[in-house]
Amino acid sequence: MRPPRVFGLRPDPIAEIEERCRTIRDPVKKLRYVRRSLQRYESLDERFQAVPLAPVRWALYRMSRVDRARALFSPNPNGALNAPPHRPSAVAPRVRQAANWAAALLVVAAGLALASYPRSQPNDAPAPGVTPVAEHLPATQATLPPRGVWLVDSGEDFELYSNGLRIDTTYAIAGEPRRYRVFSIDGGMEPEVFDRPIGLVYHTSESDIWPLEESYNEKLQDSSQNLLRYLRRRHVYHYLIDRFGQAFRVVEEADRADHAGMSIWRSGERIWLNLNGPTIGVSFETRWEGGRALPITQAQLESGRRLTDYLRDKWSIAPDMCVTHGLISVNARRHLIGHHVDWARGFPFEAYGLPDLYQRRAPAVELFGFGYDEPFLEVMGGEPWAGVREAEDRLETEALSTGRTVEDVRRERSELYDRWLAEQTRDAEESAERARADPARIARGR
Amino acid sequence: MTETNDQLWKAQPGEPEPLEELVKTGGHPVGLDVGTSKVVSARRGGKDVACAVQLNAFIPVPYSPVTERTIQQQSEIHHFRDGDNIVIFGSATERFANMFNAETHRTMADGLINPSEKLAWPVLEQILRTLVPKPRAANEVLAFSVPAAPPGKEAQLTYHEATLRKHLQAGGYRAMAINEGLAVIFSELEDHNFTGIGVSCGGGMCNATLAFLSIPSIMVSVPKAGDFIDRAVGEAVGEHATRVKAIKEEGLDLTRAPRDKLEKALHIYYEDVVETLVDTMRRETSRAENLPKTDRALPIVLAGGTAKPRGFRELFERTLRGRKFPVEISEIRMAADPLTSTARGAHIAAMFEK
Repeated sequence: MRPPRVFGLRPDPIAEIEERCRTIRDPVKKLRYVRRSLQRYESLDERFQAVPLAPVRWALYRMSRVDRARALFSPNPNGALNAPPHRPSAVAPRVRQAANWAAALLVVAAGLALASYPRSQPNDAPAPGVTPVAEHLPATQATLPPRGVWLVDSGEDFELYSNGLRIDTTYAIAGEPRRYRVFSIDGGMEPEVFDRPIGLVYHTSESDIWPLEESYNEKLQDSSQNLLRYLRRRHVYHYLIDRFGQAFRVVEEADRADHAGMSIWRSGERIWLNLNGPTIGVSFETRWEGGRALPITQAQLESGRRLTDYLRDKWSIAPDMCVTHGLISVNARRHLIGHHVDWARGFPFEAYGLPDLYQRRAPAVELFGFGYDEPFLEVMGGEPWAGVREAEDRLETEALSTGRTVEDVRRERSELYDRWLAEQTRDAEESAERARADPARIARGR
Repeated sequence: MTETNDQLWKAQPGEPEPLEELVKTGGHPVGLDVGTSKVVSARRGGKDVACAVQLNAFIPVPYSPVTERTIQQQSEIHHFRDGDNIVIFGSATERFANMFNAETHRTMADGLINPSEKLAWPVLEQILRTLVPKPRAANEVLAFSVPAAPPGKEAQLTYHEATLRKHLQAGGYRAMAINEGLAVIFSELEDHNFTGIGVSCGGGMCNATLAFLSIPSIMVSVPKAGDFIDRAVGEAVGEHATRVKAIKEEGLDLTRAPRDKLEKALHIYYEDVVETLVDTMRRETSRAENLPKTDRALPIVLAGGTAKPRGFRELFERTLRGRKFPVEISEIRMAADPLTSTARGAHIAAMFEK
């Protein structure tokens, strides 16, 4: 059977593979069909990523939806240590030709499409070689803690605050209780257990994005509602800010939500591993593609700023604890930074009255010797954020001063991370075990 | 049973093809389950897939001309001479272990080639020779199962996988490794388009893999399985592990209240293994960051010799439902033939690569 068509505005390429699979009886033929279809999507995705113009890329993804299959692109589809050699592109010459023609036509069409895009492009001309990630937002006075944001009014499905922030609570849901420990540089894991949020993590939702145009009103609203339903089911993020700047509460702030994953951050002498416990996740509805955020609107940024002020005021959050997902996310197994890269650059810290944390030494590199790989550098445009370089300098200085190689220093630090992570995991498991054994504790929610 | 087109590839009930028949006729892709307790091969035999099983164990007995002659007279006893010993390996091993009231030796421990057993590799080579025929054509595909990397044993798994691959390649095959849990998914979850969780509980370890459309997203292994149960029960009741294994395989029923001390210990350690496995699966699934977005409830299929006792499925389900599993589960069922499903899945992988 032929693999599915790659173009044609269908809702979900995965669903299409599944549907066609149901008609195949032979397991080997079915496996062949599935794997070839996925290879084909992967090959197309690689081509689309290379398209230089964002609107063209957007149009290609809208037509093919191959991005929905990304979680299934695997260099190691048999799950063994030694993966089989990567097969050559599964895209047939005719299809490839068609894709190229389509791309060429879309480049032409992009000229017209661009006419409708400026609304969502930055006002200021970008500096050469730097891709803008968000609309311009005027700065507020740097690092002043917000004061006095209070609840003005509330109803069944909303809360209104004195700084103009309106939170839609229609989708709000309770999460798991927070429970986390902190590490200190010299002493390792501290005995105290915490249950209050002390930081913010900014994300992008990585969902489908429709053009911000009046004719797409229905689509824009539908996709936000779908996204919210999904986030609520999965307890992901505490807040979502949609394309119109509306702030939706998902998981209650006091509770733990899934958003930060494997992550590392530091403030002074204190270090946190895996920041779901200590932080509140705020996500902007958009997608980070090939190292660029699809346009984030001024309405979103302004809403995000008001939400930040409210949360910082309510939970006494320090300015250097307001970080982005890209800055903290790590691949724990491979000891690499940048496992997720949303807001790995371009977050308007200054406009939010926050210190520029891209300049802060990357704790995963400095403290635990983490590195990065080629795909990360590609996404970052060839250069990581300044704090990574500064942390690497520190490692080199230490290696020189102690007569070791940088690799030795990195290895020693990585081992420390592995030990700390294992200690934290063990502690969390023991706590869960105790909670299971103590029904009263479960009933209390702690 | 009336055979329909979609059943043709599945092993039919009844007697498996004699080992010799399988070994004689090369020329088809081979699936191989290299397990701690058993090695199983699967190949197309006529319309069906036929499987052959060999115990992955051995026992050295002191050499004497009389012993050697006696053994040679019985064609089903595989053996070779090693200095002052005759090494008996494969399915006859248990008979000799009971005869000598001794423990069998294992070529593998915890799912990987046994590093503390001098004869591990020479014996495993011999066992593979009894199951894998010489290929008729060059580069015939052979897929062999490997466990997911146990924590802290990645290097040992690299050695295990590379050793097997090199050996099989030297025999003329294009050998490729496949994750054990994924092989179970290939053989058992075809109806679900290879989406779901495949669990294989063998002798040395339990493996579980969560896959979407044949692509593995989560792979875990725990070094607690049948051998652990045999050892722990043996220590608790003062029996040889080999004897415990025999009693266990005679017809343990986990749905029934234990009748004696040994059964009670078996129940306890079975529960321990299942709890460890489910907790590991739950933890790794909660941690996973790149799961495809789906609202679909996933099926779980249980395979492997350790999953065979009556009531195992119920025990697994009870344990899983008692914990908050991060993915919705549609059903939990046993594999059609728990002993051969990994090999049959590896065979599908080999056919695909052909």
